[in-house]
Amino acid sequence: MDELNERPADEQPAGERLAGESPGGERPAVGLEAYPADADGVRHLPPAALATVAGGLVEHGARLVMVVGLDLSGLDGAAGGAAGATAGAPAATRAAAAGATAAARATAAARAPAGLAVEVVLGLPDGELARLRAAVPADEPAYPSLTPILPAAQWDEREIHDLLGIEPTGHPDLRPLVLHELADLPAYPLRKRRPTKPAASEPATEPATEPASEPATEPGGAPAGQPPPVRPFRPFVAHGEGVYQLPVGPIHAGVIEPGHFRFSAVGESVLYLDARLFYTHRGLERLVEGRSFERALPIVERACGVCTVTHALAYSRAVEQLTGTEVPPRARFARVLLAELERLYNHVGDLGNICAGVGFHFGTSQLGWQKERLLRVNEALTGHRYLTGVVAPGGLRADLPGPVLAELGATVDGIAHDVRGLVRALLRSEGLMSRLHGTGIVSRELAERLGAVGVAARASGLAHDLRRDRPYEAYPELDLPLVTMTAGDVAARFHVRAQELAASAAIVRDLAGRLPPGPWREPLAELPPAGRSAVAGVEGPRGPSWLWLMAGPDGSVERLHLRSASFANWPVVAAAVPGNLVPDFPLINKSFELCYACTDR
Amino acid sequence: MPFDVLARILGPLRRPIVSSRYPAEPPLLAPAVRGLPELDPARCTREAACVAVCPTGALALGEEDWSIDVGRCVFCAACAQACPTGAIRLGSRVELAARSREALILTTRLEARR
Repeated sequence: MDELNERPADEQPAGERLAGESPGGERPAVGLEAYPADADGVRHLPPAALATVAGGLVEHGARLVMVVGLDLSGLDGAAGGAAGATAGAPAATRAAAAGATAAARATAAARAPAGLAVEVVLGLPDGELARLRAAVPADEPAYPSLTPILPAAQWDEREIHDLLGIEPTGHPDLRPLVLHELADLPAYPLRKRRPTKPAASEPATEPATEPASEPATEPGGAPAGQPPPVRPFRPFVAHGEGVYQLPVGPIHAGVIEPGHFRFSAVGESVLYLDARLFYTHRGLERLVEGRSFERALPIVERACGVCTVTHALAYSRAVEQLTGTEVPPRARFARVLLAELERLYNHVGDLGNICAGVGFHFGTSQLGWQKERLLRVNEALTGHRYLTGVVAPGGLRADLPGPVLAELGATVDGIAHDVRGLVRALLRSEGLMSRLHGTGIVSRELAERLGAVGVAARASGLAHDLRRDRPYEAYPELDLPLVTMTAGDVAARFHVRAQELAASAAIVRDLAGRLPPGPWREPLAELPPAGRSAVAGVEGPRGPSWLWLMAGPDGSVERLHLRSASFANWPVVAAAVPGNLVPDFPLINKSFELCYACTDR
Repeated sequence: MPFDVLARILGPLRRPIVSSRYPAEPPLLAPAVRGLPELDPARCTREAACVAVCPTGALALGEEDWSIDVGRCVFCAACAQACPTGAIRLGSRVELAARSREALILTTRLEARR
């Protein structure tokens, strides 16, 4: 452990952590008080105030959770009745609503859902969330961009621009992100397409369906019935003598996901990298709209193949928050067990993939075999190698089988022991480690500025881990080490994973032996009134996945937004590559091991 | 010197074969594995709860038969959980490839209405 650059978590300034030691006490005065929170904790601001208030919070240590674009026009008919007639009773009985004043609830019910809106969610240093929502005018949907003060929001805002046609004014880079040239769309994908519904249920003065008074030439100005303009994507490239372009992808040599990478290079050195993703955009967020909470789950769970527990858990927690459902203890512990099994097989596989990035096949194949052993453990425990179909709103879909649980601790222990031996061998392999050290450095400042999360953040010295910062399920009852490094290079990300997987194995061993008996699923308490929304975050293997969920009528999904850790970290990858050699790109890429599918959705 | 790398390369020579002889032998599956949803026609009461709950629209209930589109099924087991009589279970059939799209639709004949 000679070159580890280790720094224990205790040395981190307390203010760097989302979970501060003084909950609620010293809220910065940034004008939040002027906008009282409604029952969901949403503060309604004019668009012009959004950047000011968010900027003030960021200056006091708040981090971006997500920016979500909304088309609330679908609620106009439903919310009036639902919020008025049925909202009172469930809201009053909900534990979460206990702190909210009657006045706040009245405000929420009286608030007429507008058309288009954006909501920025920030994580405050004390562990709380700040939700700031601004309605944007329907005729000219725009608001002052947050990206200049909060660069982490750059992709969020481009996505909103693409899918909802809301323009973040002053955004430095409004090239298309999600929509590719081939997209032949009848309307902005996430706007409610009202004309397809029966006309009777619609108010006559629906702003989003009003005919445009002028041809839609402005990117943000097209109404719902108009197709978004097709805008070609031009990669950012460097120019100069001896600078050449190296296009890579979107199809790669290997069974991996599609992404186009444009290197501007001089000789072997990368000057600049621009990445184009979203080739696997499946319109998942649109697909779940109108579905019942139950029927939306399998789709959200499959946003990507390797974070199924993370996504299902984030979704389930959002649904439980909306319905006021209390999850039974057995499920709370089992969910942590499953989440750590997911982290375990991902981290083991990712260490193997780092070896693949330098062509060190000994490590790749050996760790691949250890990952396979873990996948078989998953299969025996849940019936699925990648752990789908177990976590569900209210608890678990099925109980974990006792005989498998009885052997789980010893099995996982054995695998963790073998992995530890392998990691030791890898650390002593100079050929491997000399490639990992000093490659793909992400400085602490860069990580902070671009909003790096998860392993990538912790390897650059940022002590962020939702399991500690906003503990959920059974995590408050567990002793969880926080692993951070300061070097920010591939080796640091390697070490963070190696240490975290040991901790995960210990949790699995601990929990497998003491899952509390009893029921594992609780029926959903009350269906929420249309228009209520909740935000839930779960720390997955790559970092936190945040899920934003709004209820529609009769327990359906009105709007769902998933911001995965991969989405947050892709811009960091692109920034980590310049200054390195072209052949180091696969290695740097694999040290983040980001997922394309849950970025693209 | 990475002696342990050498040891780890040579060590497995003493290890028995860990892979199975698939496809010559049937795949080794854990009992919990969720394979093809199968319907027991004798217990089906034609309430179509499975059809309603299926997140991908893979199921169809006709006058005489119940069919599943394997090209759509994601093996989530929602149908088995929703069935009021427990007529559906996810069995151990996992080799479901077919040579045509139509051949992915598997039909189970229902018992004649009483």
